[in-house]
Amino acid sequence: MANSGGAGAAAPGRRRRRETMDVLLEISRILNTGLDMETLSICVRLCEQGINPEALSSVVKELRKATEALKAAENMTS
Amino acid sequence: MATPDQKSPNVLLQNLCCRILGRSEADVAQQFQYAVRVIGSNFAPTVERDEFLVAEKIKKELIRQRREADAALFSELHRKLHSQVCYSILSVLLTSDIGMSKPFFVSSYAALFAQALPRDAHSTPYYYARPQSLPLSYQDRSAPSAPSSGSMGSSGISSVSLCGLSGPAPTPQPLLPGQSHQAPGIGDCLRQQLGSRLAWTLTANQPSLQTTTSRGIPNTARNVTRSRREGDTGGTMEVTEAALVRDILYVFQGIDGKNIKMSNTENCYKVEGKANLSKSLRDTAVRLAELGWLHNKIRKYTDQRSLDRSFGLVGQSFCAALHQELKEYYRLLSVLHSQLQLEDDQGVNLGLESSLTLRRLLVWTYDPKIRLKTLAALVDHCQGRKGGELASAVHAYTKTGDPYMRSLVQHILSLVSHPILSFLYRWIYDGELEDTYHEFFVASDPTVKTDRLWHDKYTLRKSMIPSFITMDQSRKVLLIGKSINFLHQVCHDQTPTAKMIAVTRSAESPQDAADLFTDLENAFQGKIDAAYFETSKYLLDVLNKKYSLLDHMQAMRRYLLLGQGDFIRHLMDLLKPELVRPATTLYQHNLTGILETAVRATNAQFDSPEILRRLDVRLLEVSPGDTGWDVFSLDYHVDGPIATVFTRECMSHYLRVFNFLWRAKRMEYILTDIRKGHMCNAKLLRSVPEFSGVLHQCHILASEMVHFIHQMQYYITFEVLECSWDELWNKVQRAQDLDHIIAAHEVFLDTIISRCLLDSSSRALLNQLRAVFDQIIELQNAQDAIYRTALEELQRRLQFEEKKKQHEIEVWFLY
Repeated sequence: MANSGGAGAAAPGRRRRRETMDVLLEISRILNTGLDMETLSICVRLCEQGINPEALSSVVKELRKATEALKAAENMTS
Repeated sequence: MATPDQKSPNVLLQNLCCRILGRSEADVAQQFQYAVRVIGSNFAPTVERDEFLVAEKIKKELIRQRREADAALFSELHRKLHSQVCYSILSVLLTSDIGMSKPFFVSSYAALFAQALPRDAHSTPYYYARPQSLPLSYQDRSAPSAPSSGSMGSSGISSVSLCGLSGPAPTPQPLLPGQSHQAPGIGDCLRQQLGSRLAWTLTANQPSLQTTTSRGIPNTARNVTRSRREGDTGGTMEVTEAALVRDILYVFQGIDGKNIKMSNTENCYKVEGKANLSKSLRDTAVRLAELGWLHNKIRKYTDQRSLDRSFGLVGQSFCAALHQELKEYYRLLSVLHSQLQLEDDQGVNLGLESSLTLRRLLVWTYDPKIRLKTLAALVDHCQGRKGGELASAVHAYTKTGDPYMRSLVQHILSLVSHPILSFLYRWIYDGELEDTYHEFFVASDPTVKTDRLWHDKYTLRKSMIPSFITMDQSRKVLLIGKSINFLHQVCHDQTPTAKMIAVTRSAESPQDAADLFTDLENAFQGKIDAAYFETSKYLLDVLNKKYSLLDHMQAMRRYLLLGQGDFIRHLMDLLKPELVRPATTLYQHNLTGILETAVRATNAQFDSPEILRRLDVRLLEVSPGDTGWDVFSLDYHVDGPIATVFTRECMSHYLRVFNFLWRAKRMEYILTDIRKGHMCNAKLLRSVPEFSGVLHQCHILASEMVHFIHQMQYYITFEVLECSWDELWNKVQRAQDLDHIIAAHEVFLDTIISRCLLDSSSRALLNQLRAVFDQIIELQNAQDAIYRTALEELQRRLQFEEKKKQHEIEVWFLY
C-alpha cells in the first residue's frame, strides 16, 4: 500500500497503513459496500497493482452472485 | 494485517474469490477464470475521474437519503483520506454494489454508482487532473517530463503532463507491470504506478488497455504501450476536446478540419461519424461550425463578385465593406490561434483557466456570429443586384429594431451609397453623367440629338432608384441635370455652375452619406431643392431674355390664332381676289408679298423684327378642285430652344386651329358681303316687285346665318381662345421650370383643339359645321346669281322704259 510518507521506517509506515485501512473500512461501511476488512485489503492491493477498479467491482459483484447461487443450490439439495 | 505486498495479482485474485465465495481454492476455479476474463476484458471506465466530484456526489446522495450524520462522517473520513492515496480504492468502493437500507433503492443506486456515476460528465471533460488532486506522494516527484527512474520512469508524470495538453491522450503506462520483481524503491514504483494508473484512468485510452490486458496480466505490454505514448493511432480513438478545438479553428476559416468536414450534400458542417465523441461535444462543435458556414457564404459572394467585371461601383464598395468585416473576423481568429499556439509552446498545462475549450469559443464567438449572420443575410438578399437596387436592398435591412444590427447595416449602407451620391452630386452640379455600369437612376440616351435633348435624351431608370430617395426627389434631380445640359448644349450658355448656383457645394465624402441617413429629410432635400430652384430659375431667365420665349408665345397667339384683328382683316381683304382662283395657280412669293404689305399697313409693323421674320405663308397640299382658300395657311418658324416648347406636333396643332379659325373668319366675311349686297341693291330692286319675295327669303336666310356665325365667333373668341390663353399665361408666369411651361402649353393646345371641335370625338359636329359653311357659300353664290339676274332684269326694264318713253315722244311729234 502506498504511503504518503514514502518508504520510511516500517513502524510508522505500518501505522499509517493501518490508519488508512481503517478509514477506508469506515467509508466502505458508510457506503454499504458489504466488504470486510480482508476483502477490502485484497481489493486495495489489486488496485494498486493496476487493475481496473470497475472491472474489479464487477468481479466482486459476480462472485457474490455466484455465492448466492451456490448457497441456494445447496439449500435446495440439502 | 501483515500480508506481503508482493503477491502477484493472480494470487490476490484467487484469494479474493476464495474469500467471497467462502470456498477453498480448488472450488473456485470457474469463478477465477471468469474473474480473470472480466478483468482482462477491458471494462470501460465510466465513472467520474475526479475524486472531488465523486466525493461530492456521495455526500449529496447521502444527504438525499437523510443520512446527514453519515454524510458528515464521510466527509471527515474523506478528508483524512485525502492526505493518503487511495483514489482508486474509492472508485472500487463506489462501483461496488452499495446496498441500502431500503431495498428498493438498490437497483437505482447500483445503476447510479456502478454505471456512470456522472451522467452529466464530459461536457468539458477533464483530460487531466488538477495538480492538487494528485496524491500528495506525487509532489515529491513532480519533476516534469523528466523520466527519473529507469523503466517505469517517464511514465507517470510526463504522461500526466502530456495528456494535459493537446492531442489524443498519450497511451497510459504499463498498467500491470511486473515490477514486482524490482525490489528497490518499490514504494516509488508503486507510487508511480499509481500515478500512471491515474493517468490512465484519466485519459481512458482503451485500445492500449485492450491489448495489454487481453492476456490477463501481461508484462511485456509496457513496451508496446510506451511506443504508443504519443501515438494517436487507432481508428476508434476517442477525439478529445483539444482536437476539436483545433478543428474548429480551421472550420472558422472555412477549411475542413480533421474531424469536422463540410458536407456538400447537406450544405453544413458535420463531425465525422466515426469519431468517438459524446453527444454534447458533437453538438457544441456543430454549433460552432455554423460560424464557418457563414464565413464561407460571405467569402464566396465577395470572391465571385470580384471577378465580375460589370459589377459596378456600388457593388465594389459593398464587397469592400464585407471585406472589412471579414478582416475583423480574421483578427479574432488569429488571436484564438495565438492562444492555442501559446499553450503548445509552453508545454506544461498552464492551468484550466487559460485553455481553449469549446464552451469558451462559444462565448467568445457569440458577437462575431451575430455580425456574420447579419452579413450573410445581407449577402443573400443582395444576390444578383447591382447599382441602386443593391443600395435599396441594403437599406431595407436597416429597418430593424436591433440597434447593433442596425448600426452595422447603416455603416455598410453609407459606404454603399457613397458612389450613388457622388454620381448624384456630379449630375446636379455639373450635369455630367459618367455611369459606365448603368448604376445611376438617370439614364442618358446617346443617340438622341440636341433638338430632342429636353424630351428624350434623359430618362429615369426606375429600377435603380434607391429606396431612400423618393420619386419626387429623383424627378427633380433628373430635371436639374437636364436643365444644365440643355443650357450648355441647346442654349449655348456655358456659364459655369459655380456662378449659377449660389449654394456652395459641400465636399463630397462618406460623411455626406452618413449625414444623408441621419438627417434625411432636411439636409439632402434642402440640397436638391436649392439646386433645383437655382437651376430652373436661371434656365427660364435665359429662355426669356435671350430667346424671348414668352414673346414668341404671344406672337403665336396673335398671328396663328388670329388674335391681331386688324392685320387679319387687312390680309383677308388683300388676299380675297387671289384666293378665289384655283389652288394650282397660286404662287408662294405672290402671297408672301401680299403678307408683307398687310404687315406694313397695320399695327403688326410695330412688332419686333425677330417675330416678323418668322411669319410666313404656307401652302398646304393641293387636292383637285381646291380654291386658294383651301390651301392657304400662315406659318411661324421656330428653332433652337424655342423649338423645345413649340415642337413639331405643337406646330401642326396650331396649323389645324388656324385653318379652322380662318375658315370661320371667311364665313364671316362672306356674310358681310352678302349684307353689303343687300344694302346696295335693296333700293334698286324695289322697282322690280317680282323679286321681292325671293329677296325677302334671301334676307331672312342671310340673317339667320349671320346670327349663327356671330354666335360661333363669340364662342370661339371668348369661350375658347381667351379663357385658355389666360390660363396659359398665368401658368407660364408662375412656372418654376421648363417642364411646367411645356406641360401648360400642351394643356392649352389640347383644350383649344377639343373645344374647336377638331379632335376626334367631335367629328360629327365638325362635319355639320362644315356643311353649314358650305351652305353659306352656296347662299353667297346663289345670292350673287340672283342679284345679277335681278340687276340685269332691272337694267332691261329700265331700257324698256326708256325706249317706251322715246317712242311716245316720237308718236306725239307726228300728230
